Amino acid sequence: MEFNDGYPAYETMAVHDEDHGKHVRKVIWKVFWIMLGVTLVELFVGFKAESLGLGKVFLQFFFIGLTIVKAGYIVLSFMHLGDEVKALKWVLLGPFIVLVLYLIFMVDVGEGSYAKTRRYVMDKNVTDAPHHTSGETKQGEAHQGAAEHH
Amino acid sequence: MSSHAATTQVKANWGGGGVSPLGASYGKLYMWFFLVSDAFTFSGLLTAYGFMRHKYTDFWPNPGHVFHHFPFYEGSVPLAYVGLMTFILIMSSVTMVLAVEAGHRNKKNEVAKWMLLTIIGGLMFVGSQAWEWYNFISGTAEGAVRNIFVDGVWKDQLIHGANLQYNEYGLPVFGDFFFFITGFHGFHVFSGVVINFIIYLNVIKGTYEKRGHYEMVEKVGLYWHFVDLVWVFVFTFFYLL
Repeated sequence: MEFNDGYPAYETMAVHDEDHGKHVRKVIWKVFWIMLGVTLVELFVGFKAESLGLGKVFLQFFFIGLTIVKAGYIVLSFMHLGDEVKALKWVLLGPFIVLVLYLIFMVDVGEGSYAKTRRYVMDKNVTDAPHHTSGETKQGEAHQGAAEHH
Repeated sequence: MSSHAATTQVKANWGGGGVSPLGASYGKLYMWFFLVSDAFTFSGLLTAYGFMRHKYTDFWPNPGHVFHHFPFYEGSVPLAYVGLMTFILIMSSVTMVLAVEAGHRNKKNEVAKWMLLTIIGGLMFVGSQAWEWYNFISGTAEGAVRNIFVDGVWKDQLIHGANLQYNEYGLPVFGDFFFFITGFHGFHVFSGVVINFIIYLNVIKGTYEKRGHYEMVEKVGLYWHFVDLVWVFVFTFFYLL
């Protein structure tokens, strides 16, 4: 199709011939095998985590790290963001990276340390979970816990 | 038009008007911006989940004990079914990217073939999720006694499975997040299947062949990969961690 308006035809930029197509398909399948391998490793470790006695922090870094690897392959390869111009990459990834860093900070440093330091009251609905009976639970907090539930 | 010539033209025209500084058509840009905003939404949901999980870290149900069913198999196999679901979705992502690649070569029949396989993969995934929900909602035969709120009073009662109010396996909030996040994702998959189907019909009708390019396939492809991307994270945070 002819474009006569003098503007670049962004829609047809990625058009390629058979030879290049062969190369592109090879890359696609390579990425597929990598993603499948990573998923199988994740499942194996998830399945064996208890018997191997792997630590919680290790598992967190392990699983989230591999997830980011997979996410990178999806976004950069499958969604072709790796082939886009630099400006577009940063326009899309920049705001998201900032947000995610903030969220990690909130969840891990903020709420995570909150759960570790504060004696919180067990949810009323869980009857078979271990009770915190170290005697430090204050009456006010008990009320707060119940109020949250209603 | 070769891609090299087009790139040169972009550089030559920069600042002269009518040229995208981001080197992409407006349709693709809008899809990208929508996906970034959608990613914000999912990040918010998963963060809320993270908050509750940290708060009740000692009482959180072990997903391996909750989701261990497999079709036509009586025993317990943790993670196997969700592994299969993940495989189905990754596979459909691959068929989608192959459809996009075929579109770049203007091969109508190949695009149609890969798009159809993508749609089938999507339907399989939605069906798998329905089965997962069914098992979670119906629960085990033994059930568990929970203190639940019925007709204005709290009372102990034997319950099976989970819904938004109670959860046999532990905290009700686990079920709430499970239903909401996997439901929101499942609805994305469902919408993706519908959109893919519309584009598939257009491919068959020859709309894009007449137009001269298959960029529309690329755009729905972006959406479809995004759905896969979200699942990768849901899979990690809900099932693995």
